[in-house]
Amino acid sequence: MFLGLYATFLTGWMILMFFQVIGNDYYTLYSGRGLLAMNAYSDWFITSIGSGVVRDVMTSALIMAFGVWLVPRTIGVHAGLVQRNAALTSRVTRLAETRGTAVDSAAAELRRLERDLHDGAQARLVALGINLRAAEHLFKTNPDAALALVAESRVSSALALAELRALVRGIHPPVLADRGLADAIRALALGSPVPAEADIQLPGDPPAPVESAVYFAVAEVLANAVKHSGAGHVHIRIAYQAGMLRVEVTDDGHGGADPAQGTGLAGVERRMSTFDGIVAVSSPPGGPTIIVIEVPCALSLPKICSS
Amino acid sequence: MRVVVAEDLFLLREGITRLLQAHGCDIAAAVGDGPALIQALLSERPDVAIVDVRLPPTFTDEGLRAALQARRQVPGLPVLVLSQYVEQLYARELLADRAGGVGYLLKDRVFTDDQFVDVLRTVAKGGTVMDPEVVAALLARHSRDAPIARLTERERDVLTLMAEGRSNTAIAQQLFVSEKAVSKHCTSIFAKLDLPPSESDNRRVLAVLAFLNS
Repeated sequence: MFLGLYATFLTGWMILMFFQVIGNDYYTLYSGRGLLAMNAYSDWFITSIGSGVVRDVMTSALIMAFGVWLVPRTIGVHAGLVQRNAALTSRVTRLAETRGTAVDSAAAELRRLERDLHDGAQARLVALGINLRAAEHLFKTNPDAALALVAESRVSSALALAELRALVRGIHPPVLADRGLADAIRALALGSPVPAEADIQLPGDPPAPVESAVYFAVAEVLANAVKHSGAGHVHIRIAYQAGMLRVEVTDDGHGGADPAQGTGLAGVERRMSTFDGIVAVSSPPGGPTIIVIEVPCALSLPKICSS
Repeated sequence: MRVVVAEDLFLLREGITRLLQAHGCDIAAAVGDGPALIQALLSERPDVAIVDVRLPPTFTDEGLRAALQARRQVPGLPVLVLSQYVEQLYARELLADRAGGVGYLLKDRVFTDDQFVDVLRTVAKGGTVMDPEVVAALLARHSRDAPIARLTERERDVLTLMAEGRSNTAIAQQLFVSEKAVSKHCTSIFAKLDLPPSESDNRRVLAVLAFLNS
C-alpha cells in the first residue's frame, strides 16, 4: 500500500526531472554547436524551453495532471486502509477470544489431569506401598496374610496401570503418536460401538496440534453419534484440498442434533476455532446428521507406514 | 522353547527374561530396538518372539513393524506382541496374513506368569491369542448385519474365549460344559462364519479374524 504510493510519487518526480534535463540539454547541445541555427522556429522552440517559458507551462500542466491522477488514487488507498483496519481489528478481537478459550480449556484440562492422577493412579500407588509395607511386617509371623496382601497389591497395580492408560489416551492417543491422523481415525472407527467406516485421503500429515485437535473433534462427534443419534452406521470422510483439511461425519440416526444444547459440539467448535477451523452441523429431524469440520493447514510428508 | 525378547526398558527386559528362564525357556536373544529385533528374528529363528510394540529408534510402533516385516520373510514366525495399550487396528494387521502364531496382549498380563507362559506356548504352536480388552471391545459393538450377529449367545462366549487363545479343554472348564459340547459349538461357529472345513487350528485363526472384521 505505502510502497505503491511512494512508487507513484517517485515516478511523477522522475518525469519532471526528465523534462528539465532534456530541456537544458537540448539547449546546450544544439545552440552550442549551432546545428539548428538555420531553422528559426526550432531555434525559438529550443530557446524557449531553455529560457523556461514553455518549460514552466509544461511543468505546471504535468504537475496538475499528476495531481488529477493522484487524488482519486489517494482516496482509494485511504478507503482500502480503512477497510483493512476494520478487518484487522475484528481479526484481533477473534484471536483474543479464541486464545482466551484455548488457554482456559488447556488450564481446565491440566486441572482435570491433576485430579484424575491424584484420585486414581497416585492413590492406588500409595495404597500399594502401604500394603507392601504391611506384607513385609507380616512376612514372618503370618505368611498367608502377607501373601494375600501381595496379591491385592498386584491387582491394585494393574488397576493403576489401567487408569494411567485411559489418561494417556485422553492426552495423546498412542496410535496418533505411532501412525498419524489417518490410522488414528481408522483405529477410532474400528473401536466404535456403532459400526463406522473411515474413508481418508491425506497426502501428508497436518501439524501435530491440528492433528490432535481434529482427532479429538472426530472422537467427540463419533461419541455423540453413538450416544444420542440412534444411528446404525457412521461414515467418516477426511480429505485435503487447497490448504484446507475437511472432515465430514455422517450418521444415519434420527437427527435433531443441536450445537447450542449440551457441551459436545460446542466443545468441538471451541477446539477448532483455535486453528481458525469451522464446524457446520446439519441435522434435520429424522436425520441424517452431517457434521463438517474445516481447518486450514499445511501438510508435511507422511509418516512411514507398515502397510 | 527358544525365545527372542525385544523390550527397550532394561528392567522389564530382564524381568521377562528371568521369568521365562524360571519356566524353563531358553532365551535366544534379548534385544532393545527394532533393527536388532529383525536381525535376531531372522538369524535365530526362535520358536516364539516376545515383542514390545514401541521400540527405539523411532519410539512409535517400531516393534510391531519389525515383527510384521520378519513374518513377511518367515511366514508364520510366532510372535507375541506386548503393549501398554491394545488397538484393534494393530490386531488386524497382525492377523491379516492368516498364518496364525500371533498373540497381542497388554503388558500387565505378564504379571500373571502361569497364564503368560501358557499363552506363549499357544502362540509358539501357531495359535492366536488376543487380549481380553480387544475381545471386550469387539463384543461391545452392536453391528446388526455382520456374520457375528448370527451367533447364539453361547457361541459368542465360545468365540470370545477362542479369541483369547483358550483350548477347547480350557473353554469347557471355564463355561462348565463338556469338551464335546464346546467342539459342537465350534463347528456351528465355523459354519455360521462361512469358514470352509480345514485343519482346526487354522479355522480358529480365521474365526478370530472374522470376529475382528465384524
